[in-house]
Amino acid sequence: MLEVSPTLSRRSLSERGLGFVLLAPAALLLLLIVVYPITALVWNSFFDIHLAEPWRGEPFVGIENYRRAFEDARFWSSLGTTVVYTVVTVPGALLVGLGLALLANMPFRHKWPVRLGLLLPWALPLVFSGLIFRWFFEYRQGIVNDVLVRLGVEPLAWLTEPHLAIAAICFAIVWKSSSFMALMLLAGLQTIPRELYEAAEVDGATRWQKFVSITLPMLRPAIFVALIFRTITAIQTFDIPYAMTGGGPGDSTETLAMYIQKTTLDFLDFGYGSALATIMFVVSMIATSSYLRYTRRSAGRGTGG
Amino acid sequence: MNALGAVRVAILSAAMAALAAMATPAIADTTLRIFTGGQQRPDVMRKVLDEYQKKTPGVKVEIEVGGATSEAQQQYLNTVLAAKDSTLDVMLIDVIRPAQWAAAGWAEPLDSYLGADKAKVMSQYLKAYADADQVNGKVIALPYFADSQFLYYRKDLLEKYKRPVPKTWDEMMETAQIIMKGENNSQLQGFSTAGAPIEGTVCTYLVPLWGMGGELVKDGKLNLDAPQARQPFQLYGRMKQAGVLPKNIGEIPTDRIRVDFQAGNVIFAQTWAYVWNRLESDADSKVKGKVGVTMLPHDQGGKSATCIGGWQLAVSAFSKNKAEAAKLVRWLSSPEVSKMMAVLASNLPVFPQVYKEPEVLKANPWFADALPVVEGARSRPVTPRYTEVSDAIRSNMNAYLAGSKTTDTALGDMKARLTPIYR
Repeated sequence: MLEVSPTLSRRSLSERGLGFVLLAPAALLLLLIVVYPITALVWNSFFDIHLAEPWRGEPFVGIENYRRAFEDARFWSSLGTTVVYTVVTVPGALLVGLGLALLANMPFRHKWPVRLGLLLPWALPLVFSGLIFRWFFEYRQGIVNDVLVRLGVEPLAWLTEPHLAIAAICFAIVWKSSSFMALMLLAGLQTIPRELYEAAEVDGATRWQKFVSITLPMLRPAIFVALIFRTITAIQTFDIPYAMTGGGPGDSTETLAMYIQKTTLDFLDFGYGSALATIMFVVSMIATSSYLRYTRRSAGRGTGG
Repeated sequence: MNALGAVRVAILSAAMAALAAMATPAIADTTLRIFTGGQQRPDVMRKVLDEYQKKTPGVKVEIEVGGATSEAQQQYLNTVLAAKDSTLDVMLIDVIRPAQWAAAGWAEPLDSYLGADKAKVMSQYLKAYADADQVNGKVIALPYFADSQFLYYRKDLLEKYKRPVPKTWDEMMETAQIIMKGENNSQLQGFSTAGAPIEGTVCTYLVPLWGMGGELVKDGKLNLDAPQARQPFQLYGRMKQAGVLPKNIGEIPTDRIRVDFQAGNVIFAQTWAYVWNRLESDADSKVKGKVGVTMLPHDQGGKSATCIGGWQLAVSAFSKNKAEAAKLVRWLSSPEVSKMMAVLASNLPVFPQVYKEPEVLKANPWFADALPVVEGARSRPVTPRYTEVSDAIRSNMNAYLAGSKTTDTALGDMKARLTPIYR
């Protein structure tokens, strides 16, 4: 048993106490902003809450809202549309972001214009990007159709034809999110020691071999962090489709987040909306934990070797 | 002084400053806040409110503008009202809203503020608005201005090609085709109406349905199995095939029709009364003096039908100045203000006698024929779940116009969504 002098133990206790006191505001904030809303959300999903019909009260309905969701065609179609956006824009933004990061990593005399160019799309509010691209793809006055007409092609109904609308929205989302990916990957690129490249050159490696054998493996952690962020935001896609098409034509470009907004803020059906939001939360958690499990497994493989 | 002491002093000084601010004597002025939509001419409302401020010293009225379309405004107000926020005292609401507002308890019933005058006041209005604004015997709102949809046409083009003003949809399509062929202008659209998934698109479906003798709801039951339910889709299908409907009709919200018409790119348009004033007075209007307004076309053997619109003034149930707000609402809903708005913004009056005032007719010559149209205008479904009904109709009409659903699918989906509401 270690002999601890009384003064030492008092100091270590007050240090721990100080630690708790300093952490307390952050913990309280987290509780207020994260834990309480999520608990309230899940709690509400078990009740029937119609804010525009107060005479119905708020009866407990158990898992009725979830059963309704599984039988709701519009829930499945909006989930499907969300999956489409995720599957297209996550790799899309990664590829474009990687390209931009590699470009930005090349030696420039003045680094700041490149950094600024990379930063601007990310700094632009999502709704602004949505509105800007809505005007780009507008049928009569958009520049995309203007270019097509000058090339002798018939103008396309970008925002009113369902497949074209999804393509246009994906384009806007990739443009917006690739800059964030590029910034994260650029940070990762800059941590790769130059000696590795020099050693590879001495061994006679080509540019492609250097990229595949040095850059990509060293970038893995940065790629995973960027992918996690991008995937979670992709599951929550709302602003850009909302600003560009409002979910149209019909519901074909409506995402799960848009359906939740419509159910809660338009129809004021908070019980059902909370159930849908909880489902979205669970989907996001599954996606995140799969990523984490994959990284842990591959990291284990790497060191275990 | 140590750190903790400094913090104590800072908190104490802040508290004293707050107490001092609260202790200053309250200003005698009452400030009312009125919410209106961007499309409802807040600039004209400002002029009207300045008159009120002049004659009612001690009351200031501020305008808050929000929402580019009716359903966007309602979505914003949903949040404010669900939070029982007291910032807004008076709200401008669409004619379709009083039923829902009464059920949800968002509007302060005005019966006690009208007192003994209630019967007299309500009898002065056009019957449709007196009926729309009274729910279960309680006055939920007072009418601000009336509205319904009309057919706007380019009289210069009709004269050029010697075509009469069309009375039926088929005549309109034929005229549009002749003019489009003759003008050979790729920007010229034959017929424009609301097609985006917004509130106005509900009328795009209902107007042809009513014109063909159909009904959405009959005796409280959904009536979409009747043959007329398909006909609005078929009508727009024929228009598309005739090349008369613009290809991007699925993108067109209400105000866009006006913008395109003002730029000279539309021959016929189905839209509301406010457009007239902008076409005739805006500096950049290319169609000044070239516009005619008439009843909407009907089907062969049918009668012209139109959608009732118009905006009402409701006092928020959560306002802190209900009495003052009710006084403001009564003044805004008066023949004197109705005349001002008819002249300044071509807003249709809610009082029958104002239609005949010479100043009003000078600014809007077509108002002489508008009164019977407004009196015969039909209202959209009255239900507390109107937002869901509207969404079902407008999103399927939008899907059909954009070409992503066939008539059967669009009608089937509309039925599927409306049936649980009308059970």
